Amino acid sequence: MLVTWKYHPRNSLLEKLDPRARWFFSFLVLFSIIQFWDVRFLCFFFALVMTQYALARLTWAETRRVWTFILIMVIGIVALNTLFTGRGGTTEVLSGGHIIWRVEWNVLGLSIHPTITVERVWFAFSQIVRMISISTLFLIIPFTMDPRLYGVTFRGMGIPDRFAFSMDLAFRFVPTLARDFSTTLDAQRARGYELDKLEGGVVAQIRKMAPLVVPVTMNAILSGEDITNAMDLRCFGLRPRTWVHKLSYVRRDYILIAAGVVILISSIVLKMAFHVGDFWMPAWALTWAR
Amino acid sequence: MEKKSLWEFGTREVVYAAIGAALYGVFSWVTNFLALPAAGNIALRPAVAIPLFFGIAFGPWVGFLSGFVGNVLGDFLSGWGFWWYWDLGNGIMGMIPGLIAAGIVSYKAKETIIKAEIFIVIGAAVGILVPSLLEIPFSGIDLKTAIVGYWLPAAGTNIINGLILVPILMVAYDAVVARSGR
Amino acid sequence: MDLNSEAIPLSIQNLTFRYHIREQPAIRNLSFDLHRGELLLIAGASGCGKTTLMRCINGLIPRSYRGELDGQITLFGRDARALGMADLSQTVGTLLQDPERQIVGSYVLNEVAFGLENLELSREEILQRVDETLDYLGILELRDRETFGLSGGEKQKVALAGALAMRPRILLLDEPLASLDPASAQEALALFRRLADEGVSVMLVEHRVEDALKIGPDTVLYMDEGEQVYYGDAQGLMQVVDYHKVKLPAPIVMERAKSAPPPTFMLAIRPDSRDPLVTFEDVHFRYDSTLPEVLHGVALTIRKGDVVAILGPNGAGKTTLVKHTLGLLKPTQGRVLLEGRDTREMTIAHAAKTVGYVFQSPSQMLFAPTVEDELAFGPRNLRYDEETIRRNVDLALQTVNMEEYRDSPSLALSFGQQKRISIAAILAMRSRILMMDEPTAGQDYWNYMAFMDAILQMPGFDSVIFITHDLDLAVTYANRVVLVHDGRIAADGPPEEVLRDYDLLQRCRVVPTSLLALNLEVLPQTGRFMRAEMLAHVVA
Repeated sequence: MLVTWKYHPRNSLLEKLDPRARWFFSFLVLFSIIQFWDVRFLCFFFALVMTQYALARLTWAETRRVWTFILIMVIGIVALNTLFTGRGGTTEVLSGGHIIWRVEWNVLGLSIHPTITVERVWFAFSQIVRMISISTLFLIIPFTMDPRLYGVTFRGMGIPDRFAFSMDLAFRFVPTLARDFSTTLDAQRARGYELDKLEGGVVAQIRKMAPLVVPVTMNAILSGEDITNAMDLRCFGLRPRTWVHKLSYVRRDYILIAAGVVILISSIVLKMAFHVGDFWMPAWALTWAR
Repeated sequence: MEKKSLWEFGTREVVYAAIGAALYGVFSWVTNFLALPAAGNIALRPAVAIPLFFGIAFGPWVGFLSGFVGNVLGDFLSGWGFWWYWDLGNGIMGMIPGLIAAGIVSYKAKETIIKAEIFIVIGAAVGILVPSLLEIPFSGIDLKTAIVGYWLPAAGTNIINGLILVPILMVAYDAVVARSGR
Repeated sequence: MDLNSEAIPLSIQNLTFRYHIREQPAIRNLSFDLHRGELLLIAGASGCGKTTLMRCINGLIPRSYRGELDGQITLFGRDARALGMADLSQTVGTLLQDPERQIVGSYVLNEVAFGLENLELSREEILQRVDETLDYLGILELRDRETFGLSGGEKQKVALAGALAMRPRILLLDEPLASLDPASAQEALALFRRLADEGVSVMLVEHRVEDALKIGPDTVLYMDEGEQVYYGDAQGLMQVVDYHKVKLPAPIVMERAKSAPPPTFMLAIRPDSRDPLVTFEDVHFRYDSTLPEVLHGVALTIRKGDVVAILGPNGAGKTTLVKHTLGLLKPTQGRVLLEGRDTREMTIAHAAKTVGYVFQSPSQMLFAPTVEDELAFGPRNLRYDEETIRRNVDLALQTVNMEEYRDSPSLALSFGQQKRISIAAILAMRSRILMMDEPTAGQDYWNYMAFMDAILQMPGFDSVIFITHDLDLAVTYANRVVLVHDGRIAADGPPEEVLRDYDLLQRCRVVPTSLLALNLEVLPQTGRFMRAEMLAHVVA
């Protein structure tokens, strides 16, 4: 089986930016988002990350799966949180409130009583906006960052040479190991191994992975010795290394980082000095109450 | 073999961290996306055995990077974006079993395997706890949801996979080590 | 480093080394010199100490491998042990056996630049040197390619470029032909000769002596069990070395074998009928609708009693072809019949009862904690009862002569033993057709000949099929040759007919060998192809 990275050149504005600037910006925005539970502010960030998403020029076909995954995940967790817990991120809003629906369930002698209040529904809505914003912020990275630049990017962000190079090397091994995996799968199938037959309990099923996982892993470990030799022979780690790819900030990168800093500082000031941004609910929502 | 220094990160560690990460990424991708019912159905990720095992075999840094970078790679291959605190959690999960790496003489000795199993449980439990707890401030869920919705299912399946597959890998590795000249 | 350029590049005096985990030294009392522009061939079977010698010279010993080192290694007049790795690496360049295990960059540019980056050269100088080196090797167009997608020959050139970019004046080549098909191997050899002619001192470690001799090494050092058996010119070598251990040109083997007793090889396959086992009917195949077709209308029938060599260069479609036999791949058009049944209508597990497929490297399949478990894996998957499984495993172990290893972990065995276990794993399933992908890969001449002899003398198979790019294997063992080129069958028939057409061979990138030439020459007398040791006794 051939692995393909999700990245390919898309001629988008994002790719013209220095990857380090993009990482900095993404984290600055992330820490800004988590200052807020007020959905009006969250909508601002939602719009911001969606603009970034639009600039990335991804197609629906390549992202359909991840969107499905994110939606199921977010809705599942929010539903669980809304139904079965008494307290949430902003404690006060989830205790008490205006009831829409409430039942008493008796499960195995335990009494649980899911309660839906207007506040909880509105909070769940805010949560969904916030979680989707955070997911979308980082969702585009595999699609828009050239894998060959990861090592040098992290080096440029202060990670030591060896760690940064290890990342590069991991990217180098991925296609080889994926190929080895499919060879081993074929080799074992030739010995009558049938992965698609479900038999036995959980333990037996997990053990069934051993004929695939063991050969691929041990083979890779054996090749590691040669790779180590090859790297030692070419002086790896003797002194700080040059990275042949060069990254350099230009004006637009500084602008991007500055924008991130401004957003974060404004968010913190709003939160700390003006005490805005906590949970908010429009008055009309109360009409939903029973 | 020279006395291994636990936190050393030389060429060998650079290489094995990369191999561990690539394996973890590839195995995660394979079990996520190919029609492998045996792997998919149990809704478990047999791949988690890799960072746990690489920690035990090559030390905490290798375990950490195998988990961290491997999780990044798996998500990249699958196109699932970047979830840094889950990557971090996977890193911690691989790092903790790495703490026993220095003292190991035989990988198939019963005492080693028992010790490894204990650290696998701790590693998966603590490693997955970190991102589960970080979900509280980030997603606004409460502790109960974090435990029930994230920690229990993720740590539980990781522990089961680790407990079963890591000893198998250790026994195999013990045989491989015997062939190396270093 | 200021080297004394007048001094001799490499001088070895009484070199002995013992790994700290071993009792016996791996090499003993080696002494030789390597001059400027000299091409030195180091020959010997596996385990003779070639790799250890290289590690002593390039500095991996004692840096990465500990042990006891005695004697003198002098590089351009200076003690090698006094040199730092940075100096060493710019004096001695090393090309390891498997380029796949040497390449560390995802892209050709990164790979070639790697050593220079580590030496902290300026970016401009690195780029300039990379281009210069690639241009020198004639592969500038590969510069921005991914290393993963390169062919074997290209990978090796890229790995070599990575070493040459550091401008070493001594080049160590560790079995550089091992992973190449014959046509690429010839190119590689010509390149090594050119490097030597341009002043690099080249030390070529190779057990494919016959091939290496074609480029006229200036001197030859022959090693056996860590000791220096012969040091001198190529002519003298032919008379001293054991021709069972190292492959020499066929006429020489024939001459020398006259004084030895004739080999006793008896093919075990005795067909009681010529029933068809496998039939390919106009098989077309592509991996994916977006990818080009790999097989274009293959028609082929394998019958009982066939010992088939599937010959052809890398990438011709040989492996794709045999994978169809077992149903690992299903034709996109046409059909494959296994004993009359369409492979589309049976599971692979079912097909495995008839066809045993041994993959190239045993490490791709071995996983079990003991040899016994390993051998029981197949039969257990095929739902044999425990009693049958036990009997099959016993028989398989006996057949490959590995009974004493029943409880050993298969992963701890040597490569050759693992190879035998991988055959036994197929034997234990009692499959009647044995298919092998490159059965000789990773083994030296002595080992793979013994291995092939053993398999073809084993009872129990109706037919044996092997993929190879080693023409001599086809000459020696096959009674049928299928020449595959470009996804088509270019020729199919007895070796004596197919292999006589040199134009055809050249078109299919198959390189004729001295054994083939010799056999063709004496064919009127012999009537069929045979190994040189046998010719010695058959030809008057």
